[in-house]
Amino acid sequence: MDRKLSIPGGLTGALVGLAAELALEEITGMELVNGLLAVIGAGFGLIRIDQRIYEATVNLIKRVPVEPNSDYRDVLEQIDEMSLELPELRESFVKLVQAGIEAQKA
Amino acid sequence: MLGLNSLSKLFRKTIGPRIEALGLLPHRYYLHRALDALEADDIDEAVRMVTLAAPGKRENARWRLVCQQVVFRCRVLASRHEQMLEQITLEMEIFGKNEDLSENYLRLKQKEGKARDILKQYERFLMSLLTGDGPNGSKSSD
Repeated sequence: MDRKLSIPGGLTGALVGLAAELALEEITGMELVNGLLAVIGAGFGLIRIDQRIYEATVNLIKRVPVEPNSDYRDVLEQIDEMSLELPELRESFVKLVQAGIEAQKA
Repeated sequence: MLGLNSLSKLFRKTIGPRIEALGLLPHRYYLHRALDALEADDIDEAVRMVTLAAPGKRENARWRLVCQQVVFRCRVLASRHEQMLEQITLEMEIFGKNEDLSENYLRLKQKEGKARDILKQYERFLMSLLTGDGPNGSKSSD
């Protein structure tokens, strides 16, 4: 089936949508798009909690302060010290390091 | 669309915080909020969210990991404050002869010490949740 796309039609639709959103925002004082995105984002975040936990683990390591004259062994030692009595987190760190080594080998 | 947005806003502004504080929302919601707070270095909120997610979930792998992440961040921040304290003490010995400067150093030292102590307190509290001991040393049940 041959469908013709109309660029002016698309642009008009976008413009009408934008105008409608702005008009509603003016009348109701509510940011529709932001509100909807927040709701969608929150729902998505709830479903993808494992991904978020993984990202937070990576972020934790990234935010460990590194002295200008320290090398990687000092940083590892510091991480080791800070993760005492935190077995699950240590395991995650080890997995991250292993994944990094594997990636480097590949 | 308008209805959904209005409802969500109404919820967040009215009964949302109260329901949140009751711990009635899904377990994942609190973990999600704890991770948000951790990212923003809002340790107080992160500890609150982890605590709200705790009942009945202490053996849950996700909860344990998020809780340990908050403990780790507490330790990192506490060590940073500890370093600042050492530096202030050192500088006080060198430049602290002046009375005004000495007072400023003392004030700074107090602030850094207080921040470190609060973080240590959070760490101890979360460790007690992780091990199942109550914050006062008593064994707690879920």
